[in-house]
Amino acid sequence: MNVVWIAMIASGCLTALVTGRVDVMMSSVLDGAQQAVELVIGLTGMFCLWVGIEKLAEEAGLIDALARGVGPVLGLLFPHLKGRRKPLGTVAASVLSNVFGLSSSTPLGLKAMAEMKEVLGDGDEGIDSMSTLAIVNAAGFCMFPSGIIAMRAALGSRAPALISGSTAVAGLAATAGALLTYRLLGRVFRERRG
Amino acid sequence: MNLLARVGSYAFPALLLGVPIYAYVKGIPVYETFVKGAGEGFRIALSTLPYLVAVFVGISCFRGSGALDVLSRWLGFILTPLGVPADLVPLVAIRPISGSGALALTGDLLRTYGPDSPTGLLASILQGATDTTFYVVTLYFGSVGIRKTGRALLSSLAGDACGFIAGFMAWKALVR
Repeated sequence: MNVVWIAMIASGCLTALVTGRVDVMMSSVLDGAQQAVELVIGLTGMFCLWVGIEKLAEEAGLIDALARGVGPVLGLLFPHLKGRRKPLGTVAASVLSNVFGLSSSTPLGLKAMAEMKEVLGDGDEGIDSMSTLAIVNAAGFCMFPSGIIAMRAALGSRAPALISGSTAVAGLAATAGALLTYRLLGRVFRERRG
Repeated sequence: MNLLARVGSYAFPALLLGVPIYAYVKGIPVYETFVKGAGEGFRIALSTLPYLVAVFVGISCFRGSGALDVLSRWLGFILTPLGVPADLVPLVAIRPISGSGALALTGDLLRTYGPDSPTGLLASILQGATDTTFYVVTLYFGSVGIRKTGRALLSSLAGDACGFIAGFMAWKALVR
């Protein structure tokens, strides 16, 4: 991330200097910082709502039931979480939210990250499990991409949901590609550290 | 597809109503428990703030300076000969970097070409295919205070590329 961040800033500043767009770049950067704060504040209410609901589901034993139900399948992706119902149930809730296009995916995902860090620590096991959840949700496999379908409908499409088969195929490919790359990169990153 | 659409729109009220009622029947103090969880959600949301500011500053520097336009011109040299409409190349470049930027661009494309035109369909597929990689990876790792995210970020970007290729091929099959 250090390299990516410095590369974004350096290439941005360099381009701005070359093309004489320093003013535009500066106001864009200040806007960006402000947008980040506005985004977090805007999301906070939704986070409170969903983590509140999740707490109820947890206390009522629903998250546990979810872990028992889909645990065996998710265990393939998260080998270190096998038999640990608490992160597994929250992970399942987050991934399922994504599949159905619900806004609860991100708040539950972050709660699952915290639970995984608590149970597995931030060594290799923890990092692998946390990275898997992050890249699965970044790939965002979705059976029903509600946002883009609503936009298409609003702009007068005759078949707003026509694309959902294609986005599902693309989302699956993105998930598989990301997971595979993560495995392949394992050796590179471990050598660099060791 | 209608069934899926219905599942999607009923899932929200079902959770909002079903979970508290089920918990109440089980004898759980629903109000106190919800408030406790909401407090946790509040702390999780706020803990991501410094990370999001850092990444947004990097991204807006990259975008505002025009470096993103340079990148999408380079991408165009590869993608246009492969059959990707030239107007869609900027969307490919911006999709993993900025969610709001990609959404605005998709809106423009759908308005210009019509949502059911070939270009509009591909724009919709690319928009719906993946999530905003930079944002998701930042948020997920930021919330637990982990800074070593290079491997996950690279993997997700490679995944995005796979998703775009698969989406492009699905689009070819769809418009043929």
